Amino acid sequence: MVEDIGAGGDLIITLYLIHFAFSLLAAELRNLKWSIVAITIQSLFLTSILATFANIAANPSLYWWSLTSLITKVIIIPLLLLLYIRQLPTAETRPWLGTAPSVAAMFILVVIFYSFLHTNVEFIAPTLQAAVEPARSNLALSLTICALGLWVLLLRKDAAKAVIGLVLLENGVHLSLVTLAPTLPETTIIGIITNVIITVWLLLYLAGRIFQTLGTTDTATLSELKH
Amino acid sequence: MLPILVFVVPVGFAVLVFALGRVHWIFREGLALLGLVVTFAISIAICGRVLGGELLTAWDRNLYVDGLSALMEVLGSGMGIIIVLYSIRYVTRHQLGMPLNPWRHTYFYGLQVLFLGMFNWTCATNSLIMMWVSMEATTLSVAFLVTFYWQRQSMEAGYKYLLLVSVGVTLALLGCVLVYAAAIPFLPGHNILLLTEIGKVTKLMPESVVLIACAMFVAGFGTKAGLIPFHAWLPDAHAEAPVPISALLSGIVIKIGAYALARTVTIFAPSYGAVVIFVAIMASVSMVIGIIMAWAQDDLKRLLAYHSVSQMGYVVEGLGLGTYLGIYGGLFHLVNHTIFKGLLFLCAGALMYATGSRRISELGAVTKKMPVTAFCFFVAAMSMGGLPPFNGFMSKITLFFALADRGLLWAAIISVIVSFLTLACLAHAAYKIFWSKPAITSNPEIVTKKVPFLMQVSMIVLALFCILLGVYPYLIYPMLDCATKCILRILGGA
Repeated sequence: MVEDIGAGGDLIITLYLIHFAFSLLAAELRNLKWSIVAITIQSLFLTSILATFANIAANPSLYWWSLTSLITKVIIIPLLLLLYIRQLPTAETRPWLGTAPSVAAMFILVVIFYSFLHTNVEFIAPTLQAAVEPARSNLALSLTICALGLWVLLLRKDAAKAVIGLVLLENGVHLSLVTLAPTLPETTIIGIITNVIITVWLLLYLAGRIFQTLGTTDTATLSELKH
Repeated sequence: MLPILVFVVPVGFAVLVFALGRVHWIFREGLALLGLVVTFAISIAICGRVLGGELLTAWDRNLYVDGLSALMEVLGSGMGIIIVLYSIRYVTRHQLGMPLNPWRHTYFYGLQVLFLGMFNWTCATNSLIMMWVSMEATTLSVAFLVTFYWQRQSMEAGYKYLLLVSVGVTLALLGCVLVYAAAIPFLPGHNILLLTEIGKVTKLMPESVVLIACAMFVAGFGTKAGLIPFHAWLPDAHAEAPVPISALLSGIVIKIGAYALARTVTIFAPSYGAVVIFVAIMASVSMVIGIIMAWAQDDLKRLLAYHSVSQMGYVVEGLGLGTYLGIYGGLFHLVNHTIFKGLLFLCAGALMYATGSRRISELGAVTKKMPVTAFCFFVAAMSMGGLPPFNGFMSKITLFFALADRGLLWAAIISVIVSFLTLACLAHAAYKIFWSKPAITSNPEIVTKKVPFLMQVSMIVLALFCILLGVYPYLIYPMLDCATKCILRILGGA
C-alpha cells in the first residue's frame, strides 16, 4: 500500500501537521469548550487522513473507516462532551503545571519523543513497509499523539479533561491502525469505537455525578481512598 | 451452536432482566439466576464435548472454544450463580441502609448477567481484536456495579476503575495492532486476526516488535489483572463495591486479564526468553508489594484486595513460563483463587452484614455467634496461605516446581516466602476477627444480625470446593490438562 502513496505524500504530511497542531491545542487549551472544539477538529483531520489513504492506496474499506470515524469521533463524542460539559465549570481545574511551563514541557516532550521514534522506527515497525515514508512519519506521529494523551491523563487534574486525554490516546491508536493494519475488518473498527463511545459517556456521567456531590471536578480531591 | 449460545444466552437474559426487572422480583433475581444456571449448563455441555476431544468452532473459526475457554466459562458461570444467590439476601434495602429503588435493583442483576455474557464472549472469541473489544465491554458492564452505592467513595473508586482500566486496555490494543501487523507478511491468504493463526508465526516476527507488544500486553491486560504497578484501581474498587461485586471483581473480572495474557504473552514465551524473565519480574514484584500492602490494612476488604494483587502474581508468573507445568500451575491457581478469594469476600460480607463493620480493629470474638462464617474464613485463609490439604497448596506447590524447573530459582524462593507471609497475614487477621477481643468498640454485642441461610449456603459451597480440590486435585485435572494442552498446541504451531 505504502509504495502507492508517493504522489499523495505531501497532502498527507500537511494533514498530519494540522492534525498534530490541533492535538496540541486540545491538550493545552484551558477552556474546556475550546478544548472540545480542538479535539473535534483533530478528529475531523483524522477522518480526512483516513479518506486520503483510502483514495491514494485504492483501499475502499478505509472509506468506511473514515465514515465511521466521522460519525463517532466528529459527531457523537464531541456531542457527548458538550452535553456533559454544560453541567461542569467551563474552565479546567488548575493543573499541576501552569500554562507556560506546561506548554514548554510538552513541546520538549513531543519533539524528543517524535524525533526518537522517527529515527528509530525500525525498532517498532512490524514490517519493512511501515518503516518507509509516509508510513514512518505516520507511525511516529500516532505514537506521539498517544504519548500526548498519556501526558494529559497524568498531569491534568480535571475529570473532564482526563476524558479528552483518553480520546487523544485513542485517536493516536486509531491513526496507527491506518499504517499498521489497513486491512482490519470494519466490524472490528466498529467494535473498538463503540467501546470508546460508551467509555467516554460513562466517564462523563461519573464526572457529572462527582461534580454534583463534591462541587468540583478536581481529581486531586478524590483522595479519600488513598492509603 | 454452543460457542454462540454461551454468550448470547446471558446477554438475552440480561435484556429480559432490564426490561422486566422493575415489575416483580421474580423477573429480576429469578431471571438473573435462571440465566446463569442455563449458561452454566451450556458451559458444562461445552466442557464435556471439549474433554471428549472436540474443538468447537463457529463463524468461520472466529469463535473457537477449546479447553481453556471451557474452563473459564464453567468457572465464570459457576461463580456467577454463587454470587447472585448470595446477593439475593445481601442486596436489600435493610442491609444497605438506603432506599433501593427497583431500577437500581434491576441494573444490579442485569449488569451482572450482561457481564457474564461479555466474559464468555471474551473466552469464546478467537479474534485478537474482538477479544480486546469484549474484554473492554466487561470493564464497562462492571463500572456501574462498582459505583452502586453512589457515595463519594464509591464514585471515586468507579471513576478510577473505569479510567485506569480503559487507559491500560487501550495500550493493549496497540499491542494487538502491532502483533497483527507483524503477522501479515507471514500469513498470506489467512485470517490474520485469529489467535490460532498468529500462534503459528510468532517465531518469525521481529523480536523488537514482539517485546514491545508483550510490554503493552503486560501493561494493558496487567492493569485488568491488577498487577503492580498497574493496580491502583483494584483496592479502591474492591473495597467500595458491594460485597458480591467485590467477589465478582476478585473472582472473575481480574481473571480476564490473566486469560488475555495466557492467550497473548504465553504464545510468545517459548520463542523469546526475555518475555519469561520480564513476566517473572513483574509477577514477583506484584506478589511482594501486594503482601506488604496487605499487612498495612485495617479494612478487611482492602486487605483482601491487596492479597488479590499478590496472588495474581502467582497466576501470571505460571502462565508466563510457557511450560506445561507452569501453565498448568498458573491455571490451577487461577481456578483456586477464584474460589478462595470469592469465599473470603463473601465471609467479609457476612461479617459486615452481622456486625455492620469491616474494620478488623472493630471486630473480635465473633466465632461463637458466627461459626459458619468462621469455618469458611479459616478454610479460605488456609487455602490462600498454601497449607495442605487445601486447594491453594496444590496449585502453589505446582508453581514452585515449575519455576525451579525453568531455572528461575530466585522467583521460586520469592513465591515461597510470599506464601508464608500470606498465611501469617491471614492467620493474624482471622485471630483478631474471630478470637481476640475487639480493639476499638464500646459495644459488647458486636453481632447484631444472623447471617441469612442463602448467604451461608453460598459460602459453604465454596468452602467445600476449597477442601475437595485440595484433597482430590485429580477432580479438576482433566480440565486443567486439556486447557494447558490447548495453549501448548498453539505454541506447538509456532
